[in-house]
Amino acid sequence: MHIPDGFLSIPVWAALDLAAIPSVGYFVRRTQRSFEDSRIPLLGVLGSFVFAAQMINFPVVAGTSGHLIGGALLAFTLGPSAATVVMTAILLVQALVFQDGGLLALGANVINMAVVGVWVGYVPMKLLGGRGPNLRGFAAFLGGWLSLMAAALLAAVELSLSDMAPSGPLFASMLGIHAVTGVAEGLITAVTLTAIQRLNRSFVLPSEAA
Amino acid sequence: MKRVILFLGGLTLTLVLLGVLVASSSPDGLEAVAESLGFSDRAVEGEPYSPFADYEFRLIDSSWPAQVTAGLLGVALMYGFGIVFGRLVRRGRGG
Repeated sequence: MHIPDGFLSIPVWAALDLAAIPSVGYFVRRTQRSFEDSRIPLLGVLGSFVFAAQMINFPVVAGTSGHLIGGALLAFTLGPSAATVVMTAILLVQALVFQDGGLLALGANVINMAVVGVWVGYVPMKLLGGRGPNLRGFAAFLGGWLSLMAAALLAAVELSLSDMAPSGPLFASMLGIHAVTGVAEGLITAVTLTAIQRLNRSFVLPSEAA
Repeated sequence: MKRVILFLGGLTLTLVLLGVLVASSSPDGLEAVAESLGFSDRAVEGEPYSPFADYEFRLIDSSWPAQVTAGLLGVALMYGFGIVFGRLVRRGRGG
């Protein structure tokens, strides 16, 4: 899902770079205002965990692979604002140090995965999280699946605006493959969240009491 | 909170040390789509300028230690980012 340089036309990557800078700045300030002090040690722990998980590709269908993106996972554990900032840092390190994802396309990748992927992934837990443990597990699964689909949909829009391929096949294949990969994203998100909740009941956001 | 941190820390190290052994090297979703729709050659990859390009430390020949070194570097960088950002969050509210 990390878009390399060359896939996006100049207006598309430039507009998204320009959009990403104030967006991430806004979420940095929001995190400063609202982040719980007790969760500060988690910023590094969860950033490291999601970075490591993103390194490991698993086979999907017909000779393709995928890996966890972790947008929903970060949103449920850090809150969506901090999740956006941590995911942006992951994408920055991946592009600069590991040459995964383009430098010019960084804004596109940030908007797709760190902003939209994180916030869309958070919606099911926000809506269903207070309605009992079974629905929380389902909300985690759905959040993971939706976050990946939202990022894939946006990537398809950007590639289509860049005239890389005809829109029909582009949307069909991007959404088709990621609908399958999204099941793995959802399962990993739900299993990790369930394990974390067993260790600490109030950990997953929004907490059950809220 | 401590138990969650230990659990996630253990999981992270397991992923780096063992996950790289089983990771698939098939193209990912976007790469596969680019190949099937014929625009994969538009990717501008250039020369690897980073000694850690593609999650392998270029100065080590054998693949597991090269990947583990790269993975540990990424984990350390993200942990470091967490510490710096944590300080920024505290400072931001004057605490």
